[in-house]
Amino acid sequence: MAFTLYSLLQAALLCVNAIGLLHEERFLKNIGWGTDQGIGGFGEEPGVKSQLMNLIRSVRTVMRVLYGLVMKKSNIYIL
Amino acid sequence: MADPHQLFDDTSSAQHRGYGAQRAPGGLGYPSSSASPQASFMADPVSSMAVAYGSTLAAQGKELVDKNIDRFIPVTKLKYYFAVDTVYVGKKLGLLVFPYLHQDWEVQYQQDTPVAPRFDVNAPDLYIPAMAFITYILVAGLALGTQDRFSPDLLGLQASSALAWLTLEVLAILLSLYLVTVNTDLTTIDLVAFLGYKYVGMIGGVLMGLLFGKTGYYLVLGWCCVSIFVFMIRTLRLKILAEAAAEGVPVRGARNQLRMYLTMAVAAAQPLLMYWLTFHLVR
Repeated sequence: MAFTLYSLLQAALLCVNAIGLLHEERFLKNIGWGTDQGIGGFGEEPGVKSQLMNLIRSVRTVMRVLYGLVMKKSNIYIL
Repeated sequence: MADPHQLFDDTSSAQHRGYGAQRAPGGLGYPSSSASPQASFMADPVSSMAVAYGSTLAAQGKELVDKNIDRFIPVTKLKYYFAVDTVYVGKKLGLLVFPYLHQDWEVQYQQDTPVAPRFDVNAPDLYIPAMAFITYILVAGLALGTQDRFSPDLLGLQASSALAWLTLEVLAILLSLYLVTVNTDLTTIDLVAFLGYKYVGMIGGVLMGLLFGKTGYYLVLGWCCVSIFVFMIRTLRLKILAEAAAEGVPVRGARNQLRMYLTMAVAAAQPLLMYWLTFHLVR
């Protein structure tokens, strides 16, 4: 029952990292979750799938900044 | 009272100004009337200057915190949730345990802002959830103590665990609300308030379990689970579902169906969590 706030923080960090790892070109396009594929409807209902794709793209964008800082700090240059 | 809908009489600024001005001379005056070793220490001019400097630093720090606190914690918004009185608490607790006869679940509005909880029994408040949470921790300690399993760090562990579950619930519901694109005026604090109401049922269940053993625990917990389920459905239906569906007409259509599923899921998670957080306390 040792479900503490710290373990919640760890789990959240791991989840965000997992979302940040999904590569746009190599992976998401192949399963049809690329963000340039689904921006069809400008009507009222975005739908769950397009909201999810937008969420993944936003998380990846934010994580790219943080990854860049971490890589620069430790002198590794990978994009 | 000039304005019957005013939340509190705000005396904080007058009180703190008077208090802060009196603290510095009071701080210097007090040591000179104490025992002689302390008096000789404080009579030294350098020490008295240090005391004066320290008290002005403290006053400046307090001003800084007062100015900036509104940026991090919305204090004025929080005040709304604690504007309760005994009658409201009594009626709300009754509603949490027996919501079946209550007819009108709409929150009354007063010029676009919801009315304070003191005047409307349907409005969410943070007083009951906060008190119920602390009482749950204490009752958990009591239950552990009667079974000789108590140690002080277990209390901290219980508190941390319950808080972690609450945070997880709030985050999960916020995420699902975002994914289903619900246009709702359900704020995060409202959500914390609604999710905190289940602690009342949990306390009842554990206390009955202490008095009457497992049978009492299951009976009371079952009753409180069903009540919280109905309470959550009736409250969230007005907030999440569209106006047409809220008036009782079951509207078909993919979007409303998804919202109905979301409401059901949120309400169903309450009994599950109530059981999960209390079953290990009753043997």
